[in-house]
Amino acid sequence: MTITIGLPSKGRMKDDASAIFARAGLTITAVGNDRSYRGRVEGEDIEIAYLSASEISREIGNGTVDFGVTGEDLIREGLAEADKKVEIVARLGFGHADVIVAVPEIWLDVDTMADLSDVAQEFRARHGRRLAIATKYWRLTQQFFSRQHGIQLYRIVESLGATEGAPAAGQADIIVDITSTGSTLKANHLKILSDGVILRSEACLVRARKPEHEGNAKIADLVARVRATL
Amino acid sequence: MPLINMPDFAGALLDDFLARGAARVDTPVIQPAAPFLDMAGEDLRRRIFLTESETGESLCLRPEFTIPVCLSHIETATGTPKRYAYLGEVFRQRREGGNEFYQAGIEDLGETATARADARAINDATGILHKLLPGRPLDVTLGDQAVFEAVVRALGLPSGWQKRLIQAFGDSAHLDQLLKTLASPQTAQGLDPAVETLLSSNDEAGLIAHLDHIMQNTGYSTNASRSPREIAARLKEKRALAQTRLDGAALLLLREFLSLELPLSEAAAALAGFADAAGLSLGAALARFEARTAALSDLGIDLSRITYRAAFGRPLDYYTGLVFEVAQAGEDAVLAGGGRFDRLLTLLGAKDPIPAVGFSLWLDRIELARAR
Repeated sequence: MTITIGLPSKGRMKDDASAIFARAGLTITAVGNDRSYRGRVEGEDIEIAYLSASEISREIGNGTVDFGVTGEDLIREGLAEADKKVEIVARLGFGHADVIVAVPEIWLDVDTMADLSDVAQEFRARHGRRLAIATKYWRLTQQFFSRQHGIQLYRIVESLGATEGAPAAGQADIIVDITSTGSTLKANHLKILSDGVILRSEACLVRARKPEHEGNAKIADLVARVRATL
Repeated sequence: MPLINMPDFAGALLDDFLARGAARVDTPVIQPAAPFLDMAGEDLRRRIFLTESETGESLCLRPEFTIPVCLSHIETATGTPKRYAYLGEVFRQRREGGNEFYQAGIEDLGETATARADARAINDATGILHKLLPGRPLDVTLGDQAVFEAVVRALGLPSGWQKRLIQAFGDSAHLDQLLKTLASPQTAQGLDPAVETLLSSNDEAGLIAHLDHIMQNTGYSTNASRSPREIAARLKEKRALAQTRLDGAALLLLREFLSLELPLSEAAAALAGFADAAGLSLGAALARFEARTAALSDLGIDLSRITYRAAFGRPLDYYTGLVFEVAQAGEDAVLAGGGRFDRLLTLLGAKDPIPAVGFSLWLDRIELARAR
């Protein structure tokens, strides 16, 4: 069986992932030229598919690749019942980013999700509409607000970029987004709620739960070699 | 239009609705999604079938009938009182059972004799079920949002806490969490010294001006949804909230109340006894509870077969009083559910408040029950 691994096609994530595999003794070479989106591991029956970061979670979920390297945020956002479909076999120690709930700094009365719940509850009566949250993380937001905190009265406004600007631009009241250093939030006068960290994400090696992986020595060996580098 | 999967008792059911003085209305299967999401919350999005019109309007397949019936009542403006009946398919993504199934029910809009209207809703639901499931004993569970609200108010908590508890009613995990918070001390987060001074000296105008100044400087004010006044007011309220602890006795009372579960024939006396012993005045809520119980008794309903459960409610903010569910004795599957939703029509845009009560029958579950 040929093992297929989905890796990010560009940027820091691509380089960091390649470095981990190299340390595990799995040297990746591009097929054809450097800009090719196919690669292979020398001396092994392993193929590399370079994909865009958000597609990696989908392809692992479908089982079209056996493994992938991607952020936990994209796995948990992209897949319903992620833990049934995939297994996070190793946390790779790079690509750290937290998915957080942030509100305008000037909301001095809002420090916790309980505060936000109070505000959301009265929002419709005061402003004639529900509290609007700008985010690209629909699933994580719904799980965190509705199920973990019992907040129902909000509305998601899809935001595919520059989400931190949405409150000042009047597109939404608050945001759910990723942050690594918090500097963009600060520059846009937003603050993270004290219990508003939805997920502490980092790059992970993720395996598709496929029946043919059961008892497969090559799969076990690959996992062991990557884990040994950490 | 004869539909093959329509329950075979649909015709008899429609006749029964007519005999009970309810006129059938039909509502489109494709509905604007916003009213459902506005009323039930964003979590509903996962459970309904959404689509978009060519112009970008968010549409959904009808997930239930109450909101469409109320919207069509508001639109046609035909005056009250009105008794509407419906029967048709609804569409929801469910873990168990099909995604499309039949519901039927009655919505009673604008009847001002609320105790009688409540009793009639329960009587209609159980009467219809008795006819569809002859000889099968039914269990009715009854709750009352207004009684819970009266207990919370009588405990003398600050309004912020009252609102939190009332909103969580019916969601036992959330309510439990709130009660725990109320029992244990909380520390308020540190505020900027300038704000702290303005707040503790009770200088509201100064605080508003200060907040406004920051908003102007950060370029946030142009589109700000929450004004400096609103933030200042809630800062003050929050200070009061943080300093509140429910004393042990009051917390015990609230828990004692929530654990009440007894036959409706004894419930009014038990509630009055609870209020007396606790030194709480439940006023109008208790009077309405008693009037409803009397109205049920007048209709010849056996009150010992109805269970009052104080903690039973629905965490939707448009329910205002009665909630009830009917199942076969000893079984879990709810065959009919209903309640009073006096706030819904105003929230949907009715100009004047319209009292409303209704119930819905789960025809797929009734069909299963009949087959056994």
